[in-house]
Amino acid sequence: MKTTRFHWGLLLLVGGLCLSTTGYAALQPTDTPATIGKESARKAPSTADHTKFKELQRSFKDGPAVTEACLQCHTEAAKQVHSTKHWTWEYLNPATTQKLGKKNVINNFCTSVSSNQTFCSACHVGYGWSDDSFDFSKESSVDCLVCHDTTGKYKKIPGLSGHPNYDRIELPPLSGKFREATDLQAIARNVGKTSRETCGTCHFYGGGGDAVKHGDLDSSLKTPKRYLDVHMDADGLNFSCGECHLSDAHQVAGSRYAPTASDKDGILMRGKDHGRNPATCQSCHGSTPHPAQHAKLNDHTDKVACQTCHIPEYARGAPSTKMTWDWSTAGRLDENGKRLQIMNSAGMVAYDSKKGDFTYDRYVIPEYVWFNGNIKYTLFGDKVDGSEMVKINEFMGGPDDPDSLIWPVKVFRGKQPYDVEHQTLAVFHTADKGDKDEAAFWSNYDWEKALEAGMATTGVPYSGKHDFVATEMSWPITHMVAPKGDALSCEQCHKENGRLKDVKGIYMPGANNTPLLDTLGFGIALLTLIGVLIHGGIRVYSARKEG
Amino acid sequence: MFKIIGGTIAGVILTAALTFFMAGSLMFNEHESPFGVEETAARIQANIQALSDRGWSLSALRDPSKAVAEDGTNVLPVLLVETCSTKYSAPLLKDDETRILSILMPCTIAIYKKDDGKTYIGTMNSGLMGKLFGAKVASIMEEIAKDQAQFIVMDPTKPAPPLIKGGPGGSGSSGGGSTSGC
Repeated sequence: MKTTRFHWGLLLLVGGLCLSTTGYAALQPTDTPATIGKESARKAPSTADHTKFKELQRSFKDGPAVTEACLQCHTEAAKQVHSTKHWTWEYLNPATTQKLGKKNVINNFCTSVSSNQTFCSACHVGYGWSDDSFDFSKESSVDCLVCHDTTGKYKKIPGLSGHPNYDRIELPPLSGKFREATDLQAIARNVGKTSRETCGTCHFYGGGGDAVKHGDLDSSLKTPKRYLDVHMDADGLNFSCGECHLSDAHQVAGSRYAPTASDKDGILMRGKDHGRNPATCQSCHGSTPHPAQHAKLNDHTDKVACQTCHIPEYARGAPSTKMTWDWSTAGRLDENGKRLQIMNSAGMVAYDSKKGDFTYDRYVIPEYVWFNGNIKYTLFGDKVDGSEMVKINEFMGGPDDPDSLIWPVKVFRGKQPYDVEHQTLAVFHTADKGDKDEAAFWSNYDWEKALEAGMATTGVPYSGKHDFVATEMSWPITHMVAPKGDALSCEQCHKENGRLKDVKGIYMPGANNTPLLDTLGFGIALLTLIGVLIHGGIRVYSARKEG
Repeated sequence: MFKIIGGTIAGVILTAALTFFMAGSLMFNEHESPFGVEETAARIQANIQALSDRGWSLSALRDPSKAVAEDGTNVLPVLLVETCSTKYSAPLLKDDETRILSILMPCTIAIYKKDDGKTYIGTMNSGLMGKLFGAKVASIMEEIAKDQAQFIVMDPTKPAPPLIKGGPGGSGSSGGGSTSGC
């Protein structure tokens, strides 16, 4: 008896294992790595070898000296850069008439560039922007190397007003780690096309660290594998950022202030751009990209952005992305009055005296919104209600708007200061001149001093009374395109509480319940059944009667 | 007579069908976690270590989704916390009759994210499974089930412990060695 029970148990167990193995097998990849991109993976040959240029056969005391050498040949480059958002950090949105750009927007990460240029300008394509006196017309202030370095050794250091370190420095300060002086001569002689590495120097580290801000842009995209991004796959198509974000006279296509949410013009042919954004999916793939056997998918493209299905999750590389940031808890020190850092289970900073509390996530399921390309921002001086969640930006669009598509977004949530009396968001002076800067929050943990100093540079009055307000800010998800086999399946949306459950104004079979439609459907089915039964009954009755 | 035979056959078929369709879900338990995948795994590891007096120790931490990603496919995060207790493994390994149950060692607790964005904990229903193998195994598995219930207690008042990566046999190893418990 004992043996029998034992064997029955084993049988059930083996059966269960077989079932689970079958389920596991279903997860195995069906796509094979692309091989067609191998050719493009090769480094494009250049017609110029900068190591041979006599202008570069000398040492340089600083970055502007390198730029002066560059401009001897590339005479118009600085003028072109001067007209870009990368330089001005300004953008006037014609649709909303809002003045945007990094210089003007508030976010819920480090909140504002204003008063913090010395630190933030580590991501400005220029040298020397430390305050409002910066000369935006000076050509030698353009930083060529930050975009055109190919050595990977050029690094603009936060706190140096957009300059790299020209001397050996301890970095981070008091860490015991040292960074050697930047070898400007070697870097200048090895310039080339932009790359994932150069764009990523800033765009992978937005918000103050790797993967913090965007969620779909982080250091894992420097040499991504196919699962992470089919276009940038280092062993496959190996796209650089510039492959999609085509530039013309240093104007880089694609904008987060006025994105192209819906591109209905099909494939972009050479010579027929008509001012179109070449960075959209449709500009290469067209508006009905799915083959005949999956033609039903093409019926979705008028309402669903490509990204919604083809980027099923973001932050799929190694680093987790920051999801929340609570400034209201910042300033808490340890028992010795020193800066406190608490790590989470994954070894990432969950609390920092300088910044407050954070949470992170990876393989994040996006939120989904209607989006027509217009974004309305809450700017300096705009009224906010401290008792309600404040939308730092709001994606416009809706189900009845023909220009709207359902887009995936990262929604970053936090708490940040606001002026209680004036009911405006309040920005503060975080870090500028290190420990000697008494007004910087990271030096003295004094909110009032930091807020006064920060607000003084905005031109918006500050009452001196602050509290913290809940905020959220949305970011479109458009990178980290997964292999087609990993795109959302039908049932991930077409079910109750599916992916699009919070999107208003849509009817999706399998997901929504419309009582009238259900009654009609069941009624027809019932009538059909009754009809069949009556018909069958008559046939049986007739046969018996005749037979 | 026909009715008795027919009824018996119908009963057998019904039982077999129920077993076929329900056995899988009965063998495993799923619990929602209020924390993310890493923190849930770390808290489970800490709970396991707190039961060291009952012979429990960590064998390894595995990430099967990594291998899948290397092959070019995305799956939502999964972590496997492997643990074993010599207190329970020893009697099973001593007996020829039950030594085959070593295929269940070390115990695995799965922590994974699902499409709703939430984190879940998957465990074997040790109590029920033990009943399939006779009295001796049942009594041991019942004790394991009680301990397992302690593993997955998520106390939000406690700070997040660090995730212990790898195991005594090295990262991604099969564990092994006396310190791994089994």
